[in-house]
Amino acid sequence: MRLLATYDWYLVWENKTDLARGLLTAIEVAGVALVISLVVGIVLALVRMSKPPFSWVAMVYVNVFRGVPALVSVIWVYFGVSLLLGINFTVFQAGVIALVLLYGAFISEIYRAALLAIPKGQREAGLAVGMHPLRVFVQVIFPQATKIAIPNIGSMFIGMIKDTSTFTVIGLLEVLRVTQNINSVTFQPFVLFTAAAAMYVGATFFFDFVFRVVEASMTIPPGGGVAGIFSRRRHQRIDLVVKQVEAMSGRN
Amino acid sequence: MSDAPEPDGAPRGEAVVELRGIRKSFGTLEVLHGVDLTVHTGEHVVVFGPSGSGKSTVLRTINMLEEPSEGSVKVLGVEYGPGLPDVKAEKRGGPVQLRRHVGMVFQQFNLFPHLTALHNVSLPLRAAKKMSRRDAEERAAQSLAQVGLLRWAGHYPAQMSGGQQQRVAIARALSLDPKVMLFDEPTSALDPELVGEVLAAMRELAESGMTMVIVTHELNFAREIGDFNVFMDEGVIVESGRRGFFDTCESPRTRQFIEAVL
Repeated sequence: MRLLATYDWYLVWENKTDLARGLLTAIEVAGVALVISLVVGIVLALVRMSKPPFSWVAMVYVNVFRGVPALVSVIWVYFGVSLLLGINFTVFQAGVIALVLLYGAFISEIYRAALLAIPKGQREAGLAVGMHPLRVFVQVIFPQATKIAIPNIGSMFIGMIKDTSTFTVIGLLEVLRVTQNINSVTFQPFVLFTAAAAMYVGATFFFDFVFRVVEASMTIPPGGGVAGIFSRRRHQRIDLVVKQVEAMSGRN
Repeated sequence: MSDAPEPDGAPRGEAVVELRGIRKSFGTLEVLHGVDLTVHTGEHVVVFGPSGSGKSTVLRTINMLEEPSEGSVKVLGVEYGPGLPDVKAEKRGGPVQLRRHVGMVFQQFNLFPHLTALHNVSLPLRAAKKMSRRDAEERAAQSLAQVGLLRWAGHYPAQMSGGQQQRVAIARALSLDPKVMLFDEPTSALDPELVGEVLAAMRELAESGMTMVIVTHELNFAREIGDFNVFMDEGVIVESGRRGFFDTCESPRTRQFIEAVL
């Protein structure tokens, strides 16, 4: 304990603005990448579940990019694409694209499993009432699959935030890069990297909480919190319709 | 009710559903070996037989949940199936159009678990009939009232008994004003004490003159309601007949089955 006290922990406080900005950048990159990854992942899942040869293409993509480390992915996107195609991304863009390439693949597997978990009777019931197949997917299958997928998507997002640490190689000013920069001046790696780790863990707890709230809002029947407000309003409307129809049948 | 069949079950209405030469294969296995069936307006057709006889498959070809490998599926004179060889259909339609005339009730209810009873009924009205939310919800509430479940409008399927869920499913199909209703073993997944309420809802529907095709193991109900009765086994119609069929059927296979079940 005395040993720990000998370190200059005040250093972390002195650099709090830069560190916080680094964490914010990491969350921004991961957040934008999550939104795009969801779209890519859902499309990939559908292609994977379609007929060969399309499903094979999706399968190969998914396995390649689940296997590629984030570090390699971002080097391809930032340096490789620039060399081969002459397209120069900003570090922010390169980070987002690198994450989407990887996590689109992971999320497609999460959605594939979730979609397969929905009984086929749900699709049949939607079709049998004359709904267009696309509408059956959007309004019947997809919401149920998303409810199943949400906890795993939360884990993915935490992984994405953590993977932004590798983007230090392209000079993105995320937590690790900021830490390294401060360290190169102060030579206090133990203090600084411990602080960096604490920030990632803090972010993990925070987003775990956020995803739990989202998950809770999707339980049926809806529980408290935000979902409770929507559910109360929905029920007020339903009660109104019920009363109307009751009154009409009363007159007949 | 001018379209209601004669007392002996002979049809008075026009043909609503006409199946001709229906064959269906799954891979190399042929499960239907050429089935013909006509359903007239106001008629109540009962299809029964052992498991795996193809009765559900026949029912599911009527709304194209099962696409026949060969044969003609005509509903209200429009061809939806592959058609018969050498016969060119005058009018052809797609499955989405077909299903707007045909209601279906499933063995497993298949309500949408993420929606309330009211929205289970109103979603198809909005999606298939393009009704506004207000109109769809009002119409949905009326349908729920028809099956005695108006008070349950705000409940989710998981909060309701199997019998109530199946009645919501009936309301969902009915609200779309189908020309014919298909029932695929509607009471087979229910606790015995809940069968009655579903059969009562179906009986009421039958009395209102709805055209119905019912696949069922409830032979007492079948005997009571069936204007036309069809016994299937191993992918073919073994025997069929009008009212009184259960007492007059001739095939030993039919007799054996009826005696085993009743």
